Amino acid sequence: MREITFGEALNEAHMLEMEHDPSIIVFGENVSSSWMAATRGLKERFGRERVRDAPITETAFIGAGVGAAIAGMRPIVELMLVDFGLVAMDQILNQMAKSTYMSGGAVKVPMTLRVLTGAGTSSGATHSESLHGLFAHMPGIKVIIPSTPFDAKGLLISSIRDDSPKVFMEHRLLYPLKGYVPEEPYTVPLGVANLVREGTDVTVVATGLMVHEAVKAADELKPKASVEVIDPRTLVPLDEKAILDSVRKTGRLVVVDEDYRFCGFSAEVAAMAAEKALSYLDAPVVRVATPNVPLPYNPSLERHLLPSKEKIVGAIKGLMG
Amino acid sequence: MSVSKLSLGEADLLGLYRVMIRIRVFENAVRRLMREGKMPARFGLYTGQEAVAAGVSAHLGPGDQIGSTHRPLGHLIAKGCDLNRLMAELCGKATGFNGGKAGPYHLFDPSVGVLGANGVVGGSVPMTAGYALADQLRANGFVSVSYFGEGGSNQGGVQETLNLAACWKLPIVFVCENSSPEVQRMLGHEIDYPQLSVDRVSLRAANYGMPGSTHDGWDVLEVYGAAGRAIRRARRGGGPTLLEFRVHQLEGNLEGRIEANEKDRAWCPIELFRVKLAKEDILTPKIDEKIREGEADAVQRAIDYAMSSPEPELDEAYTDVFAKGGR
Repeated sequence: MREITFGEALNEAHMLEMEHDPSIIVFGENVSSSWMAATRGLKERFGRERVRDAPITETAFIGAGVGAAIAGMRPIVELMLVDFGLVAMDQILNQMAKSTYMSGGAVKVPMTLRVLTGAGTSSGATHSESLHGLFAHMPGIKVIIPSTPFDAKGLLISSIRDDSPKVFMEHRLLYPLKGYVPEEPYTVPLGVANLVREGTDVTVVATGLMVHEAVKAADELKPKASVEVIDPRTLVPLDEKAILDSVRKTGRLVVVDEDYRFCGFSAEVAAMAAEKALSYLDAPVVRVATPNVPLPYNPSLERHLLPSKEKIVGAIKGLMG
Repeated sequence: MSVSKLSLGEADLLGLYRVMIRIRVFENAVRRLMREGKMPARFGLYTGQEAVAAGVSAHLGPGDQIGSTHRPLGHLIAKGCDLNRLMAELCGKATGFNGGKAGPYHLFDPSVGVLGANGVVGGSVPMTAGYALADQLRANGFVSVSYFGEGGSNQGGVQETLNLAACWKLPIVFVCENSSPEVQRMLGHEIDYPQLSVDRVSLRAANYGMPGSTHDGWDVLEVYGAAGRAIRRARRGGGPTLLEFRVHQLEGNLEGRIEANEKDRAWCPIELFRVKLAKEDILTPKIDEKIREGEADAVQRAIDYAMSSPEPELDEAYTDVFAKGGR
């Protein structure tokens, strides 16, 4: 079985889709260079018209992506880090998210905004965030978070082909991760969770890099606790059924989230369990999420705030009594 | 600008006049409906600026796109929006262009290249660069026109987009309608600190390596000439231009009349053009009356259509959050 990295899987998705669909264009900062694995070689293969560098002006080039999408192209716009998207909130949260609704369906925005995310590299408060909760909060945006090379390729192909605006979030620490990826094109559907580990005692819901921390925790707790790990893969649309079915089976829920805790995705999943599966819960829902603190530069301080295998193990042990 | 300076036939000249009359009559009707409480909201109108939309759109076909503002009716009408569905949308009806979800600020009519009024000052400008990018990639010869005001011209997204459009040599024309050309105003009120650090918005074109010029937006022939040069340049791959048109937003209380109030006549593009065309014997009182009656009838039909149209079903509140399907 062929193994390639997460970054190479993203690259392959671009290559395969651009090959047969001339409406796909790629732009962003430095996308023509060989710097980033995801876009490496695209300019050489598809030319500088379809793969073009944009000035460091997120509002202008994300807005141009929205416009090109409305005009019938299928742009993949790269945002170097999710934190930098905050300078372009109007174009993302007003124009990209709402144009389809505002127009009563007269226009669509088949744009994929690829963003790098994530902490753990001592990059400080404006280079480390996740922010998927922010995008998931806004009506009209699909939010996609792959955690493996296989999902990276399949979800990116699904995203490119989908007619709604998407924020496709890639944790940068996942880029070197290797895994099985078929050579041919394939899709992983949006809105279908992945049952990463089957278990009977406790359900752990985690996304992105945190899926791997959750799996490590599950391994460590074997055989004392049987831990089920669910990766929703897309926050919008959310596979509620997969999560609720698991909670009804195990009776315990831990939500792991690298994004901020307050009003975040972890709170949403906890609320969902309370609203729809309360009678099945044997214990309160526990959240292991980043507290509402800007992420510091110092590695010890940063680690102190972020969710980790150790914190997940602690949370599960607490639940199991 | 004199009529003889332009190679425009009588039909074209009367066409410009008719579009301006249509905008004025339509907006007067909207103003009345707002006053009578028959619109869900009150919103900004375009009275006094009609020459800009008419003069620019005379060079555009349905394949050319525009991005508009939150004062959009002139742009939309000049670009060819169906008056019935436009009025229905303003009334929030199911038969409006967007099923009553858009209203004036977010209206889209792709069938005539109206890719959006926009509720955010300067918000449509980056998107309009995207329309131009799509046209450039398709090499179809279409151009996009991006409208904004002098206030919007300061927005970071507008300045960024001027730069991006120049870097990518996009087929786009930026049209700034400066509605406070003498005294700086914001939302109609004089302001204590200036909002523009330069006298003319068009001076900023030089910062981005594109041509820029300022014109009298109350003179439809001057608008027509300047827009024609910029649009032809964009069509043949020459890149973007920044046009600034000085305009005066005129007093809205016209009591259904087309004529501006006495104190505004000197800036009224319709009055100025009417006098000019009459002097050349192109516009006789009879033709003038026929145009006015024709547009008044069309607007009345639009009102009747809107008023007799159904409200959207309540379930429609939940539709169109996401696009249907994909490939």
